[in-house]
Amino acid sequence: MVTMQKTLKTYATRVGLGLVGAAALTTMATPFLAGAAPVHAAELGSSHVSCPAGTTAKYDPEYGVPASLIGEDSKTKTKNAGTAYSSIQCYDASGQLVAYGNDAILYKFPASSLAPLGEKLYQQNCASCHGTKADGVLPTYSAGAYPALRGLGPATINFWITTGRMPAADPKEVQAARKQPRLNPFQANAIAAYVNSLEPATPGIPSVNVKDANLTAGQTLYALNCAACHTITGGGDALAQGTYAPSLHVATPTQVAEALRIGPGNMPVFSGNLTDDEVRDITAYVTESLAKPTDIGGVGMGGLGPVAEGFIALALGIGILMLVSFWVGERQ
Amino acid sequence: MTDQHEPADITTVTADAPQMQPLAKDPDAMANKIGLLFILGLICFLGFGVAYWQDAAFWLYGTLIGAGLVALGSGFIAWGKYLLPKGPFVEERHVLASSTEERTAFSAALMERGVAPIKRRKALGALLGGSLGVFSIVALFPLVRSLGPLPGDSLATTNWKKGTRLVDINGNFIHIDQIDVGGFATVFPEGLQLTDDGQAIDQTFLIRVDTEPFTTAKGREDWTPSGYVAYSKLCTHLGCPVGLYEQQLEVLVCPCHQSMFKVREAAIPTFGPAPRPLPQLPLAVDSDGYLFAAAGYNEPVGPGYWERP
Amino acid sequence: MTATATPRTKRQKKEAAGPYGNVGKTVDVLDERLGFAKGGRVFMDKIFPDHWSFMLGEIALYSFVVLLVTGVFLTLYFVPSQRLMTVPMDFPYKPLRGDTVSEAFYSTINMSFNVRCGLLMRQMHHWACDIFVASIVVHMARVFFTGAFRKPREANWLVGVTLLILAITNGFLGYSLPDDLVSGTGIRIADSIMLSIPVIGSYVSFFVFGGTFPGDIVIERFFIIHVLLVPGAIMGLVGAHLGLLVRQKHTQFPGKGRTERNVVGSPMFPVFIFKTQGFLFMVLGACALLGALAQINPVWQFGQYYAANISYAVQPDWYMGFLDGLLRVMPAWEFNNFGYTIPLEVTFPAVIFPGIVFNIAMAWPWIEQQFTKDKQMHHLLDRPRDVPHRTAFGVAFFALLAILFIASSTDVLANFFHVSLNFVLILMRVLCFVVPVIAYPVTYFICIELQGGGSLMGKRKRANVVVRTEEGEYIANPSDPRPGDAHEELDATPVPTFIIDEAVVVEAEEVVSEGGVKVAAR
Repeated sequence: MVTMQKTLKTYATRVGLGLVGAAALTTMATPFLAGAAPVHAAELGSSHVSCPAGTTAKYDPEYGVPASLIGEDSKTKTKNAGTAYSSIQCYDASGQLVAYGNDAILYKFPASSLAPLGEKLYQQNCASCHGTKADGVLPTYSAGAYPALRGLGPATINFWITTGRMPAADPKEVQAARKQPRLNPFQANAIAAYVNSLEPATPGIPSVNVKDANLTAGQTLYALNCAACHTITGGGDALAQGTYAPSLHVATPTQVAEALRIGPGNMPVFSGNLTDDEVRDITAYVTESLAKPTDIGGVGMGGLGPVAEGFIALALGIGILMLVSFWVGERQ
Repeated sequence: MTDQHEPADITTVTADAPQMQPLAKDPDAMANKIGLLFILGLICFLGFGVAYWQDAAFWLYGTLIGAGLVALGSGFIAWGKYLLPKGPFVEERHVLASSTEERTAFSAALMERGVAPIKRRKALGALLGGSLGVFSIVALFPLVRSLGPLPGDSLATTNWKKGTRLVDINGNFIHIDQIDVGGFATVFPEGLQLTDDGQAIDQTFLIRVDTEPFTTAKGREDWTPSGYVAYSKLCTHLGCPVGLYEQQLEVLVCPCHQSMFKVREAAIPTFGPAPRPLPQLPLAVDSDGYLFAAAGYNEPVGPGYWERP
Repeated sequence: MTATATPRTKRQKKEAAGPYGNVGKTVDVLDERLGFAKGGRVFMDKIFPDHWSFMLGEIALYSFVVLLVTGVFLTLYFVPSQRLMTVPMDFPYKPLRGDTVSEAFYSTINMSFNVRCGLLMRQMHHWACDIFVASIVVHMARVFFTGAFRKPREANWLVGVTLLILAITNGFLGYSLPDDLVSGTGIRIADSIMLSIPVIGSYVSFFVFGGTFPGDIVIERFFIIHVLLVPGAIMGLVGAHLGLLVRQKHTQFPGKGRTERNVVGSPMFPVFIFKTQGFLFMVLGACALLGALAQINPVWQFGQYYAANISYAVQPDWYMGFLDGLLRVMPAWEFNNFGYTIPLEVTFPAVIFPGIVFNIAMAWPWIEQQFTKDKQMHHLLDRPRDVPHRTAFGVAFFALLAILFIASSTDVLANFFHVSLNFVLILMRVLCFVVPVIAYPVTYFICIELQGGGSLMGKRKRANVVVRTEEGEYIANPSDPRPGDAHEELDATPVPTFIIDEAVVVEAEEVVSEGGVKVAAR
């Protein structure tokens, strides 16, 4: 009915990559991967992205795309589970990678100095199910196994703890429910640092630059990719076999971006079909437009749509008018 | 309450009859109350005028005019109920039917003036009927046939052909390394991602279920390179886009009526009203590592219809 | 008129003007030309029974008035076109700025954000529609359960059922117009339903959409049907409905002084005019308050419809709910033989079932006649309890529709009660059969029990006065009735529940002598 020209248009202007020839990309990517000259964040020309204080930035104006991904007409630069796709990388004094990303999202690794504290917290809160070495435990309940946590990357640990889903209230549940987190964000960070120290992995914890987001693109992408489960108003709903898509109205930008990149539980992984710009746009749309819906027409009724509206029409509308007729007419 | 008196005949009742008295015990007090309601309505309407003029908040002027109307309506009803004659009044119900003679006369006129002459000229009557009948049929041609083209076999075909590359909504090819296990993309035939047909008919759901090829059904052994599987995104129930994928359960759910399809087993429906599996698109990888269709769909996509084989 | 002298004082002028002053003069002037006084007086004297349940149809009439008024406003802004355009960058709602949308969608959000009162009118229109259909259903239930559809009113019952079908149709068409994600999904489902019709399905679909779904013309077509054809038909049928009502006069409940041969109530002028005018304002006010305070169909939150986009939990408006519910609970029974397919899992819920429902509804007056063999005129209404089989059937029928309506939100229920979707759906499949089957006998026996209660239900019992006689014997006598109860305990006036059609009085005499005259309890 309506084509999506605008999606293509905005994509092209946002990424600016469709115009760059494949050969140029290949030559750019190779030296970057080999280690380009350090550039400080201040010189990047972007006021929004900066490496954490005291770190050194390496910068490449294009995403560092592995040569294997570049075809004759490729714009396949969507993945960002690791550094190879990032236009900026931040290293500390010891040469360790502490953050990577681009104008849209900076993925940060928790400071390795937190690892000892994280180990303590891990042994208290997580080890009974996930094993003392974070390598998982064979399933003893029918509800599911306890997965190995090592090698999952800090974003995964951070997502499950900061949404309160872990430590789980009832491990037998079909799906861990979002609740008041038992561990605070600092502690979550520490546990992530510890698990990451066992086996370093990406993605890091995303910090989303929602200020520059394109809400229009976010709306379109949300309708294509997310609304099928979370509903178009973000309220969530019941899915197959007792699982459900949770409401998005309370999620923070970091949590939304984490969920998109890691695919927690039954949620699909959006690592390959969304660029960081698109993740940023969706994140902004979810946390700004859906969490604070523009209900200019009065009470929003939880975005439930015709179900709630029909209830109001039948209970309030026709109900009250029937009471009026009860007053107008005679009663025997 | 209104039945305290015998019903009076409205055409003959006198002004001092009990039925003509108001229901209110104290009509003056009631009149005052009704007056208050009308004043309230007046204030609300004035408020609406001001609010509209000042472009005040939407809910404010809406509420004002609504409240004004309710106040006005209540006043009207109370006036009618409490201040006007309380009744009850009675009216005779006249027999609707005409007399037997009148009916007979009508039938006689109908038959003798109208129908009987036609019966006498049977051939003429038949010609008249035939001509009117043909007219009513041909009159339907512009009304119906002009509305659209004939379906032909367009319901059975899609734009997927052997060798068509898969593109996402932005027109990008899908590389074999691109999507992680548990991820998906909505894909279209190359170049058609922005067209009505591409979106409404050809839309296909590409899922990476595994890292290795797997077999969804017999005869489809090589349809899933590197664990990618593609199904038509049109539900076989009512054509809704089946965009709901649960990666651990490995089921596709239709968001409209909750049919569930097993992704690893050729999308056979396991629950809900969908009658058939989602058609599967055979995939292959070219030398650059991009996914393309190894063939078109081998059956019509979307919901069932009469001519569907 | 004999003019004597030119009136000079006020008093003289008043006297010269006759007892009814300027009104009288105006009536004279007009009646000489139009001759309306005689018929007008008859109309003013027309009696309307006062029972509250007779007002329900007026809710429908007046919400239709709201629909017409607000609908005309909306047509001044709505553009029924699927041509593409870009939302201006200064549009108030950020997530749509610069979006490529159809003119239909843009004009809808534009009138919601940029036209003063536009959103109020849109929301009033939608609420009035929900109320319109609801009031038709409630009114129809009243007519059904009190037997008001019986001879001579069968034709008006048919008109009423047709109006319900037209109202539902037009509601769906209007729901489809804004071209947002929710309405587009609705149209897609409608297309699949058309396809499911055996033999002609694909032709119906292609003729409606001018080709394959979605095409570029369907909104223009739906628009003209929505604003011209169906409302015109509704207006004509409403006229016929009211015309028949006036011609046949209203039914009434049995009661004191009420017979098959009269109508007891309030006169058209002034009592009924005042009440009904007030009621019009009340319906207008209710729609305005709902429109102002409760948001309905916020299409800007749904966005433009693209055929590849989909939202979970997309439901139709409530009056289509029973169809959606049946589409969910229906098992996947598709038949494929000799190269042809009958998608019964769609055809049955969406085509055959509504056909059955509305055909039963239309044919009910004659269906009931088959059972009762009652071909007499009826102007006095039944109390539902006095006709237990009809009441039980009606309750079971509505119970089935109610279960299907609930089944249209299986996902919402599963989410709300934290149970599995699969469980809710299977439960609904069972309830579809169980609830109506239980509802029928339960209602039947409740009716039978209530019949015993009769007119003494809810009345205060009289006290027993115990008297000791001189011999020491105790006798209990009922006390005198309390003052307020006295008049209620007069003997009920015997009321025949049917009158004899004078034209067929010869055949009917037998009936009278056999059945005698029924006495109404009240």
